[in-house]
Amino acid sequence: MSIDLNNISDSSLQYISSYLQRFMPFTIEDVKGLIQYCEIRKFDKRIEIVKEGEIDNYLNMVLKGLVRKFVKVKGKETILQLATEGHVIHSEISYLTRTPSQVILETLEPTTMVSINHKKMEEALASFPKGERLGRLIMSGMFVKKDERRYWLLSKSTRQRFIDYLDRNPHMLQRVPQKYLASYLNITSETFSRFKHLIRETTSNEIVNFPDK
Amino acid sequence: MFVVTKFYLAPMITGIFNFLNQHTTVTEAEFQFLMTKTAIHNFNKKDKITEIAEVENRIFYIGKGLVRKFFYRDDEEVITQFVKEGSLISSTASFFSRKPSQYIIEAIEPTTAFSINYDELESIYALGNKWEKIGRIITTHFLLQQEILLMDNIRLTVKERFKKFMNENPDLVQRVPQKQLASYLNIKQETFSRMKHLMYDKSLKTA
Repeated sequence: MSIDLNNISDSSLQYISSYLQRFMPFTIEDVKGLIQYCEIRKFDKRIEIVKEGEIDNYLNMVLKGLVRKFVKVKGKETILQLATEGHVIHSEISYLTRTPSQVILETLEPTTMVSINHKKMEEALASFPKGERLGRLIMSGMFVKKDERRYWLLSKSTRQRFIDYLDRNPHMLQRVPQKYLASYLNITSETFSRFKHLIRETTSNEIVNFPDK
Repeated sequence: MFVVTKFYLAPMITGIFNFLNQHTTVTEAEFQFLMTKTAIHNFNKKDKITEIAEVENRIFYIGKGLVRKFFYRDDEEVITQFVKEGSLISSTASFFSRKPSQYIIEAIEPTTAFSINYDELESIYALGNKWEKIGRIITTHFLLQQEILLMDNIRLTVKERFKKFMNENPDLVQRVPQKQLASYLNIKQETFSRMKHLMYDKSLKTA
């Protein structure tokens, strides 16, 4: 099912457009043309949109809400990604190789996404002007992001990771349970709590606005 | 036209053709054309192929030899990849992003490699969709390789990772210094020797 362009909000169009502009120039008509291959999907919170062992058929961009990607090993969860508005998320290996997913995608808030099905992606690559080029640039963009994260996780101290992340994403403390943030930063919950004074010092003015904190 | 003047290069060139056709479809003519855009390098042991802070301009296919990719955490080397004959290596994130490399690529053995540089590759992509598609598929290959490694690091125990690595690369135990293998597997050198002995004892018993 394709999208009724009248039903897509300006802010959604803006997220999609600014994502695509990173790779090559796009007119608003180009963006609308590409959206024809996509669909809008809405989920309640705490829904597993990709389950372990299931083949992931969608590449998604979050338009509103929050999705976590995690892997469960012997009951222990490791969070790999926390995707908010404008972020792209999917089970990469499963989507690209058509094999059962090792990771789980779950909404943490009611979430709206624009998604492209694997079949439609093949069509878009073949028939959308410069589709292959866009596909290549999206892949290399993903590679760079993942490499940056891996390097950051391996080279920075726990303290530095905490400061870096919460400096750039202060709003996440309000949106995501602390144990998830700790897992995403690969630090223990105890260490995370111990570091919290670091954030209070720098953003004490904002904290006042949240009386429950 | 690409002419092979050195006889020993021929099997390596066949190797590149086969590598590409494992992942995508490249005709003889397209391959001949592609090879005219490549350069050949011979590196000595310990030669730096890519230096830290330099923007990576090349993707290499290793025809013969062995290289490693690593970065420094303070003074300590952290090895992230070994690449031997038959595979591609580059400081990939730097190549794609045009930002300075955080990694060093260094030859472990005398190495013969074929490279294509960024500008040449861009000019090939400009020739059309067919080339863009080959590029997309090879880029996807890099992404998958990276993602599979990440999943292994999370899902497997140290012992399992050790086993998997040894099964997939039995020759590297002889070719790579033990200290470097331990760094790659993120274990202490003593743990590495202990596991190696355990594994070989077991395989002797079951043999």
